[in-house]
Amino acid sequence: MSVLNPIALLFALLAIPIILLYLLRLQRREQTVSSTLLWQQVVLDREANTLWQRLRRNLLLVLQLLTLAFLVFALIRPYLNMPATLSGQLIVLLDGSASMQATDVSPSRFEAAKVQVRRLIDELGPNNEMTIVLVDGSPHALTGSTNSKSELNAALDAALPSLTPANWSAAIALAAATGGGDANTSATTVVVSDGANADDLRLITGNARYIPIGSSGENVAISTLSLRRTTRGMAAFVRVTNTGSSAERVLASLRADGVLLDARTLDVPAGQSTGWTVNGFDPQLTAVHATIDRATNNKLPLDDVAYAVNTNNATRRALLLTRGNRFLEQALSVLPNLQVTRAITPPVAGDLKPYDLYVLDGISMTLPPRANVMFIGAQSVFTTSGIFSNTAFVRAEPHPVLQSANFRNVNAVDVSRVNVPSWLKPVVESQGGPLLFAGEQTGENARFGRVVLIPFELRRSDLPLQIAFPILIVNSVEWLSPPQGLSIPTNVKPGEVVPLPQGTIVQLPSGNRVAVDQRGFALTNEVGVYRVQVNDTTSAFAVNFAHAAESQITPNPQLAVGGSAPVSEVKPQFSQREVWSWLALLALVLLVIEWWIYQRGVPVLQRQRRSS
Amino acid sequence: MLSETILRSLSGLQFVQPHRRPGTTIGERRSPRRGRSVEFADYRDYTPGDDPRRVDWNIYARLERPYIKLYEDEQDLAVHVLVDASPSMQWRNDTAQTSAKWERAAQLAIAMCYIALSSGDRLIIETSTRDRFGPRRGVAATSGVIEFLERATLNIDPDYPPVNNLSLPLNTWWKRYALDARPGLCIIISDFLDADGYTEGLNALGSSRLDINVLHTLSADELDPEFAGDLRLRDIETSAMQDVSLDDAALNQYRQRLNRWTGEIAESCRRRGGKYHLTDTGDPVEKVVLRDLRREGWIN
Repeated sequence: MSVLNPIALLFALLAIPIILLYLLRLQRREQTVSSTLLWQQVVLDREANTLWQRLRRNLLLVLQLLTLAFLVFALIRPYLNMPATLSGQLIVLLDGSASMQATDVSPSRFEAAKVQVRRLIDELGPNNEMTIVLVDGSPHALTGSTNSKSELNAALDAALPSLTPANWSAAIALAAATGGGDANTSATTVVVSDGANADDLRLITGNARYIPIGSSGENVAISTLSLRRTTRGMAAFVRVTNTGSSAERVLASLRADGVLLDARTLDVPAGQSTGWTVNGFDPQLTAVHATIDRATNNKLPLDDVAYAVNTNNATRRALLLTRGNRFLEQALSVLPNLQVTRAITPPVAGDLKPYDLYVLDGISMTLPPRANVMFIGAQSVFTTSGIFSNTAFVRAEPHPVLQSANFRNVNAVDVSRVNVPSWLKPVVESQGGPLLFAGEQTGENARFGRVVLIPFELRRSDLPLQIAFPILIVNSVEWLSPPQGLSIPTNVKPGEVVPLPQGTIVQLPSGNRVAVDQRGFALTNEVGVYRVQVNDTTSAFAVNFAHAAESQITPNPQLAVGGSAPVSEVKPQFSQREVWSWLALLALVLLVIEWWIYQRGVPVLQRQRRSS
Repeated sequence: MLSETILRSLSGLQFVQPHRRPGTTIGERRSPRRGRSVEFADYRDYTPGDDPRRVDWNIYARLERPYIKLYEDEQDLAVHVLVDASPSMQWRNDTAQTSAKWERAAQLAIAMCYIALSSGDRLIIETSTRDRFGPRRGVAATSGVIEFLERATLNIDPDYPPVNNLSLPLNTWWKRYALDARPGLCIIISDFLDADGYTEGLNALGSSRLDINVLHTLSADELDPEFAGDLRLRDIETSAMQDVSLDDAALNQYRQRLNRWTGEIAESCRRRGGKYHLTDTGDPVEKVVLRDLRREGWIN
């Protein structure tokens, strides 16, 4: 044990006035009496008590001196060299991902992790500083680098787990920026996590330590809930995945707007999925949600519920003008809520109401104003200036029609070099020229609405044989004729920003109504169905936890963190733990005891006297 | 010291004499001696040399034998008033200017002396410093008594607590007094607070044929002390120190001790045929003399 403030020992000199005061206090008041004759007997009788009286007075003095000693001892700030694995600057990466909400440790992994971090805070020496980084979808530091335990504890108390996976690479970058990146400093990065889905922690530089949380990976999750329109009405597909190590039997139920549609007991083998299709319910339903329960080992309650919205209430009408294209016809026919009219010749103008979408496969027609058109092959609408066949991929612009579609390996011959207006932008560029155009004409006299242009014949390319083709078709149809006139995704992950126009009113699953500002709608931290109202149209989207990786909650107690330092080989260091608070507390207790004895002393004597 | 009214109310009283004691001059008290008063006492045989005038001739005529007629002798009574003037008698409460105990002792002494003088007794008053007044007879000596006591008060050490203790211990004083004391009534006014005790002195007085009456004078603060806390008691006479821690229990013990002690003094008086009265300075002096002492048969 050493001391930080030895000069405070001078306070021990206060013992001198205490003893002096004690001696002064002990001096009896002198009283002249006519004779001590009669008092002698009284005193003789009381002699037996004198020892106790002296002891009592001495006890008070001893207690006072002890109190002073403890106070002086506290003032010189003694500290203990506690063997600690953590010292210097400490960066705590607290896993706040969804899997930390698993309940395999009571009350939850996140709370258990908080307990561990609190222990680290308690161990924090006087010269150490700590930063707590909450690692969720967007990692952020809960505190600056500080030594204040109250500040750290307060920040820790306020921390909440998220519904998103942890973004470890961002967290590691943040830790490195905070100071953990400099190997010369004594900064130590402590990862408090269940280790699930965090396998890139070797990137942590400097000292690193891993505190594993969690004990069981048993979980049953709803991994998929989808709605589609079939010939027999609406159909819902529920996929239940068991990520645990033992087979589970769960009760899956499907409800629509609160009404139970169907329920079934599903056997889910360990590590596998089981699907369940519910057919033939009312297509007018706006939303369904599926739940599973009665699982024997289900540690993550988050993924036991899933939501889906039926956005495809309105059927769109499409006109396909083609001389026969099996790929195209097949791709369009499977799309839900799309009524495709196939024709070889253009319809007589004005005999029908305009279609939502025109797919012109090499056949031109007179289009109504503001028509949404997908042009395939050379068209008379646009002039061409030759053809090219060098379709080696150069680049692709980010565009909704290209979402999830890979154009890198698309080859075509006799691609027309189309002279397009300025609003029609090339989306995919090859060495010979653009392979795909998309754009929207705006203005009062616009001839077209949205346009997608594929400047080659499908049968003269391998595009229809590629996976990108149906995706492209689906994306194009969705983009060209957005359902209900509002382009919103139907299924959103927690924390994702939904691009809604400013002023839209969104009703949260909790019932609160929120107006969207210019940055879009970001309050998607709640799982459930969000109802959107804009320009008298009502729509909805669902926020689902359904995240295959986070449902995999198996803890990893052997996670390798940092470049070279496994957990057990962190060299032992010492931290200074000050004990003055305990000494001050002891002094206070002694003071109370001293006061108590002083107050109680005389009545005790009287009781003894009467009893004797 | 004592108001005229009280003194006047005391006239007509006289001390009750438990035993006949020989006097020195003719007085109003019956003497153990046969004398020349008119009150018949006894007969005795005539012996040659007797005054023939004292032969009862009527008896001689009837019995033909000479008898001498004896009469009671009436002589004066010697009243000794012994006033303790030791420092303990001068003790006073810290807040008081004068000693209530000494004042009470002086008042009682004057009252006793006045009764003795007014009833024609022969009075001697002496303090423990061996200052003496008397023997005197007659009421006219009252002023002398008062002067004597005033002088005794002035002679008391002006320092308080007293520095020079000129007073004799009780035993010594009484033994010396008994040496040349005429038999009679001895009234002791004292607090009896003497480390050496009082028994030997009382014995000496008793053996000089003095009837001992004790007026035990204690102040109210001695009978019921109001001290409290941790004290160092200082004996006013011996300057001896005594540490006490006073609480209710200790004070109770003191009172018990005091009762036992006064009981002992009263008992030793009664054994010698004397009387004992404990006076509290809180009581008015006329109440003590006119009521208590009369009721207890000191005076009539």
